[in-house]
Order: sequence, then C-alpha cells, then structure tokens
Amino acid sequence: MKIAVWGKELTAWVTAGALAKTGNDISFVNSSHIDDPLTLMGSSIRNEPGLRDLIVSEHQQKRLRLVQTRTALGIQAHILSMNSSEFELARDIVTRLASKAEGPLLIINQSHFGFGATDRLQALLDRRKKQVAVYFAENISEGEALDRIFNPRSLIIGSDDEAATLTLRSLFKPFSARLENLFVMNPREAEFTKLAIIGMLALRIGYINELANLSEQLDVDIDVVRRSLGADSRIGRHHLTPGCGFGGNNFPQTLNSLAQLLAKNNKSTLMQTVLDENEKQKELPFRKLWQHYKADLHDRKIAIWGASFKPGSASLDAAPSVRVIDALVAQQAEVRVHDPEAHENVQHLYRDNPQVKVIKAKYDALKNVDALVVLTEWPEYWSPDFELMLKQMKSPVIIDGRNIYEREQIEALGFSYYGIGK
Amino acid sequence: MGLTDRKAWKNLREHAVNTGSRHLAQLFAAEDDRFAAFSLREGSLLLDYSKQRIDRETLTMLCQLARECELDAWIEKMFSGERVNSSENRAALHTALRLPPDSQLSVDGTDIVSDIHHTLARMQQIVERVHAGQWRGYSGLPVDTIVNIGVGGSDLGPFMASKALTDARVEGARKLEIIFVSTMDGSQIAERLGNLNPATTLFIISSKSFTTIDTLSNANTALHWLRHASGAEDEVLFRRHFIGISADNERMASWGIPPNSRLALWDWIGGRYSMWSAIGLPIALEIGMEGFRQLLAGAHQMDRHFRHTPFEQNLPVMLAMVGIWNINFLNIRAHAILPYDGRLSHLPSYLEQLEMESNGKSVSRDGNDIDYNTCPILWGEIGPNAQHAFYQLLHQGTESVMCDFVVPARRYHDSGNADLQQQHKLTLANCLAQSRILALGDTVIDDDDTAPYFKRYKGNQPSTTILLDELTPHSIGQLIALYEHKVFVQSVIWNINPFDQWGVELGKQMATTLMDPLSRIGVDPDFDSSTDGLLRSILQHQEQDS
Repeated sequence: MKIAVWGKELTAWVTAGALAKTGNDISFVNSSHIDDPLTLMGSSIRNEPGLRDLIVSEHQQKRLRLVQTRTALGIQAHILSMNSSEFELARDIVTRLASKAEGPLLIINQSHFGFGATDRLQALLDRRKKQVAVYFAENISEGEALDRIFNPRSLIIGSDDEAATLTLRSLFKPFSARLENLFVMNPREAEFTKLAIIGMLALRIGYINELANLSEQLDVDIDVVRRSLGADSRIGRHHLTPGCGFGGNNFPQTLNSLAQLLAKNNKSTLMQTVLDENEKQKELPFRKLWQHYKADLHDRKIAIWGASFKPGSASLDAAPSVRVIDALVAQQAEVRVHDPEAHENVQHLYRDNPQVKVIKAKYDALKNVDALVVLTEWPEYWSPDFELMLKQMKSPVIIDGRNIYEREQIEALGFSYYGIGK
Repeated sequence: MGLTDRKAWKNLREHAVNTGSRHLAQLFAAEDDRFAAFSLREGSLLLDYSKQRIDRETLTMLCQLARECELDAWIEKMFSGERVNSSENRAALHTALRLPPDSQLSVDGTDIVSDIHHTLARMQQIVERVHAGQWRGYSGLPVDTIVNIGVGGSDLGPFMASKALTDARVEGARKLEIIFVSTMDGSQIAERLGNLNPATTLFIISSKSFTTIDTLSNANTALHWLRHASGAEDEVLFRRHFIGISADNERMASWGIPPNSRLALWDWIGGRYSMWSAIGLPIALEIGMEGFRQLLAGAHQMDRHFRHTPFEQNLPVMLAMVGIWNINFLNIRAHAILPYDGRLSHLPSYLEQLEMESNGKSVSRDGNDIDYNTCPILWGEIGPNAQHAFYQLLHQGTESVMCDFVVPARRYHDSGNADLQQQHKLTLANCLAQSRILALGDTVIDDDDTAPYFKRYKGNQPSTTILLDELTPHSIGQLIALYEHKVFVQSVIWNINPFDQWGVELGKQMATTLMDPLSRIGVDPDFDSSTDGLLRSILQHQEQDS
C-alpha cells in the first residue's frame, strides 16, 4: 500500500520503518533539503535501539523514500504522526489534501492532539467522496519502540468507517503474532481510551511514589510492601516501582491533555495532582542530598549517573536529571554528569554553565565528589565496582533514585545510602 | 514669626471670612471652566481639585503662604539630605531610595546611592531565586509561601501595594502565596500557621529597629512552630526560613538571622516612608524586580516634579495647600479617602498612618505649643462599599468632610470580559456621581426644592479626584509619592516635624510596666483606679480558668 507518513517524531520513524518492512511503499514527508534519513532523524531518535538499521535497510530497498510535501499530497493514505503541539499544521495538511483530492482519502491520525481531534480532522473531509479520518492508538515507547510496534499485545482502532477499519486491520495484520486483543471503536472512544490507559499508568506510578514517601516516614521498607502488593492478582506488578518520577515526551503530554479535560469538564484535579506530585518527585534525590548536607550544598561536588528520562533513550525530555541538575546549580554546587547515551544532550543543554561537567567514563565522574546521585537505571550502573567507587569519592554518599542497590550491601561497604521509600 | 502672624495667613483668614460661605454650586456657576483652572496632570496622574471651595485668588494666597513659609528651601533641605528630622537628628531620604543608579548623594560622607542599589541587587537575587523555585526550605522543597511579619510601616506599605498590584503579578509569583501578619495578639499568625506547610514557608521579619515587640513576638511564634514541625537544627531554619530586614544589623544577628539573609535599612528612612526600601520585598516578590523598579521610577518622577515645578503647577503642593485651606480656614476636621477600585482597599489605612503619624502633632519645630489645627482625622474605605456605610453622614450629616476620590480610568480593557468592563463603567459612574452630589447637592436635579426636607442634599462638601490612567506599579509609585510630599508640604506650613512619632512611645513603656502585674509579679498594682480595677477583674477571670 502506498502511504505518506507525516511527522518528525520517533513514532513517525518507527511506523514508517515497520510498515516499509512489511512491504508497503512509504513516502516519508520531508520539507527540508536533507536527503539522508539518518541525518534527518537527529541524534536522539537515531539512538533508538534497532531503528537505525531498519531505516537504512528500508531506504536502500527503496520501500521508504523521503518525499517533498507536493509529492505526498498526491497520495491517498496518510499517517499523521506528529507532535502534540502541531494540530494546526495537521489541519493545514488535511485541508490541502481535501482541496486537491477528487476521490477517496484515508487519514490515520496517531498523534496526541487530544480528545476529539480526529473528528475535527474528519470535518475537513468529504465523506461522500470516501474521505475518512481514523484514529490509531500508537503504543510506542522510547527504548523499546521496535518491539512495541512489531509485537503489540493489544491494538485500538478508532474508526466509524467499515472500509477504513478493514484497511487498518490488514495494514497491522503482519504484527499480530502476539496480539491478544484488537478493539475497534469510534475515534472519540479510542482517543479517550488512550488517555484512560496513560492516566491509569500514571496513577499507579504516582500512587507507589506516594506510598514510598510515606513509608520512609513510617520506617517501613517499600520494597517489601511493593512485592506483596504486586502479588495480588487484582493489582499486578507492572508500573509499581517507586522512583524519582516519570518523564519523556508523549507520556507527560498525553497526561496533560487528560488533566485539562478533567479540570475543564469536571473541575477534577486528580490528574493534575498526579502531575504536580511527579514534578516534586523528580527533585526527591536532590532533597535527600540537601538534607544529608544540612541544607547547604554550596561548593559541593556531586556526581550524577544517568540523565536520560529512562534507560535506552538519549532524551532529556522532562527528565528528573534536569530538575536535579538545575537545583544543584542554583545552590552553587558543581555537577559531574555521566550518561552512556545522553551525554551529548546534557553537554548541549548546559553548554553555557561551567558548573556542569559531562564526564565520559562513569568512575571518572566520581572523582572527589561529595555524593553520587543515580537517576536513570542504565544496566551498567547496577553492579558497579564499589571498591573503586569508594576510592574515587571524597564522601561515600549514594542517593539511589531508582532503587537499584541493596541497602545492606552498600552500607556494609561503608557508604551512606538513601533510596526511594527505604 | 508664628504661622498665624504671617501676612499671607491673615490675608487667607480675611478671604475666608469674605468668601468661605459661598456654596460650590455658586463657584461652578461663576466660572465656566473650573476644571481647566483647577486641575493638573503629571505623568499618568490627573489631579482635579475644581470641586474644592476655592477660587483663583485663594490659590494665589495659598501659594504666597507657602513662599512665606520657605517651602522651596525646605524641599531642598529634604532632598539634599539635611537633618530635617530634627528631634531625632536625622535626614529623611525616602526620595533617595528612588534615585536612578547613576545619581549621586552622600550622607555624612557615604555614597548612599550605591548602598541603595547594592541592596536592590540583593533583593533581586532573593526574588529571582524564589520565583525560580530555588529558594529551598529545610526539606529541600521550594518555598511557596511568604509570611511578612511586620507592623506599621513594615506592614501597611507592602500590604497596600501588594494588594494594589495583583494584576501586575509576574509568572514566578503565580504559585506563591504572600501573607501579611502584624497583630500583636497572635490571632493572625495562629490562624495562618495552622494551614501552612512549614517546609515551604519563608518568613520575612521586617522591623527597622528589630525591637518591635509585636513583630518579634510573632517571629518567635513562627520560629517555635518551625522547630516543632521540622525537627531541623536552628541553623538550618534560620538560614532557609527567615529573611531579616532592619537598620540594626547586630540585633538581626543576635536574633539568629545569618548574614546572607539580612537586608539593610538606614536610619534616614522613616518606617512609614520605607516601602521603597528592602521593606518592599513582599511587593517585589509579587510583581518582580522589574515591576518594583517601575514603582520606584513612578515615585522618582513625582519627586522630580515636586522638586522642580512652580507651586502653582505642582501636584503635591496643590493637594497640600488645598488641605491647609480646608483645615485651617474652613475649619474642616475630617478627611475621607475613597478609592473606587477594590485593589486599593488598603490605601485608606496606609494613608491613615502616613498622614496622622506624620502630622498628628501639636508642638512646633521650635518646641512651642501651636494655636492652629494640624492633621485632621483621616479614614476611608473602598468608595462603593462606603456608599452603603458612612456616605449618609457625608451627604446629610452635620460634619464638613473633605474627600479624596481615587480611581483608575482604565481597567479590564484587555481582559476581553465585557461583564467586568461594564462593572468598571458602573464604578466610574458612581465615583463621578458621588463627588458631583457632594459638591453641588440636589441642585443637580430638576425640581429639587419640591422634595421633602429629609430627601434634601445640601452639598458643598469639597473633594479632590485623583484619576490614574490605570493602576500600574508606575502609577502607584506616583500616587504614593504624591501623598508623601503633600504631607511634607503641610508639615512645613504648620512648622512641625513630620518624620518623628514620639506619641507612640509612652504606650510601649507603660505596656512593659503592666506585664508584671498581669503575671502577678511584684506588689499590688497601684496605677489609677480604672486600670487597677480592670487588672483585678482580668486576674479574677484568669483564676476561674485555672
């Protein structure tokens, strides 16, 4: 099938790559003069595991081509995989498509434009000419994007047009090896379901973080509680790991639109509270450090392991590290940051700040520091050489923002240890 | 020469005898365009005193009186830093607080302009840190509540201006709650502390002397509350939860405020003239330092106008001299402040202090009892609310009252809310209606003399209207400086020192002597029979409780 993909996001690239691989003829819309897909992607998307090879291969096979907008406007099927802030642009594209097309059009919206957006796009089209807008709830997640698109467990299609539904079903059929559920509903219900899922996950994370903070005050180990909590079949284990807050691009943006929807229609602050508390939670490692050093971090040297918002990603979008680094900088501390993937992004973000140094080797980052703060649970941090760490650090203080170490072991080695909720 | 012996004074007295009984309606009938003759503009501020019971001759005589009292020389003395506060042997240099950084002014050989701007820069650091969410409490959470503990000048000015300028609030202040606590009895602080989070509350302790018992007792309550709630060490609490603002560095230090959290005042600023200094920190926290600098710039514009403009075109001089005419020649003893804008709700209490503490004096600069009236009783309320309260007295009572109407011409114009725009129109209509009826009485209505006697309005109550283009930091700066200088001009005419306040001292001493008897310490009280009786009664009631 000939499909144009619109957008610059990770989702756009992953969708384009996956659909090309299953034999579709993909036109990736490119309004720039760059003709190399890897350059066009940018570094943070390029680092997504497996994506680089997929795109290079599909591009070589010519199943994925970069095309100019003008060319794309002649195509019948379109996937909108754009940033949530680009709804006006999406409207513009659909308006131009509608004005040009004499016959059928299929617009598959998988952007997070919020509730009701797909219907607003449909309103720009002429149904009598079989011009249809549908919603597809993408489930792509940084660091595991390819697995998510090739092996979905569940798919949600928002369509009230039978022909369009059929097209989507066949488009995603190659990815149904492990599919357990496929739901078809109208676009509004599908958009709402997407919000509901994201909201539920955020509530779980928010809840376990609240419990972790409480258990600290009550001198209870959250790990013990969490394990038994997850064993309850009504609850399950996923998204119940306490930590220093969630970040990323899509997740918080989707939550934001749910929070606004709740506030506007119901005067409900539930989701906004979750978001606000999450922002506070991001600074929790800073607060532990602050309390350890009796509210004075002036001229302290602090190492940070892990800056990306999650392992497997180089992105600093809404990452706890940015909040922690900003707080440390404001207290005139010196920050030494290590991250296996995000170091370039950190370097770029703090290029004007001499207080922030990016260190390429993780043990070098510990040289002479007053504490280590672990903010992203990259695999290489899980079992480090503690003896070497003790030698490097001026004061052996570890703030474990992701609960990856065992307190007893760490303390036995002579570290002061602070976890989340324990 | 005594004031009442001056030629201009005698001329004015005679003028009052000859013309004082003329009704404002007659004055308006006699001159077509009183507004043109009796209004002045400076910057964004329009002063309309055409509804005062004056004519051109009155103004000429009043300006002559000002000249005979050497007002020019006094203005120069104040601005140049001479010790115009003679009883305390100090300068009164609130005007210096508004000088641009490239100005020069020395007091006793010290360049005070650089000191002032150094303190402003320190305020800026604090404000930016709080707005960035990087002023952290003992737990590391950013501070989101500011409690200003102060009384008198350390409360009324910042409180008034913060309320007035809520529309100029900056983004960083949106999530910030700023609370003012002043009362000695602890009722405000007790009520507020119950709802506050100690980890995110920052206290500003404002006291020029850092001995004010009202303020220190509230500060101690705050400190104990923090200790109890946090379990943190005092050093941490003092460093992260208190900012001290005082002219007495040592007293701030001994109370516990560390050097980085102290902001300096100087003894050449009176408390009621101090909102332009570090005392204005709560204002800056509300409107940002840029807004605070606009406030200073507005006041500075009025300073320059006051210092360099001939009396006849000088807004503070006109406002003051019309007041002198009312008080000393028309024998009006009451003055109402009537803002027609809810944001100016605290302007009356601010001006009560500014005027009555400054000019509520009956001894001249040379130590003699004086034989003329000085500051009248001032009070006020938001105009539209006062219409449902004490305007009855203004319209039909026996007292002559002079009124100041204060109102912004524009409000809500960029809000896009037609209902609110309509409400502002309604407010303006009421403001204009009230000053018109107060001046002209029911002559403004046809068939006025057919009304029954209890529906009659005699009018002839004089008023001034101060019209602000709109309420901004700059226009509030102008407005407050206008009143400060008005007070100074009147003090020069009355030959009194407006910068001391000895009348508030004895009460503090007496309160101290009453603390022991209230704690049943020492011999039986032997004050006067009233005080003794009240003491006995209080102690009896306390016995019943215990």
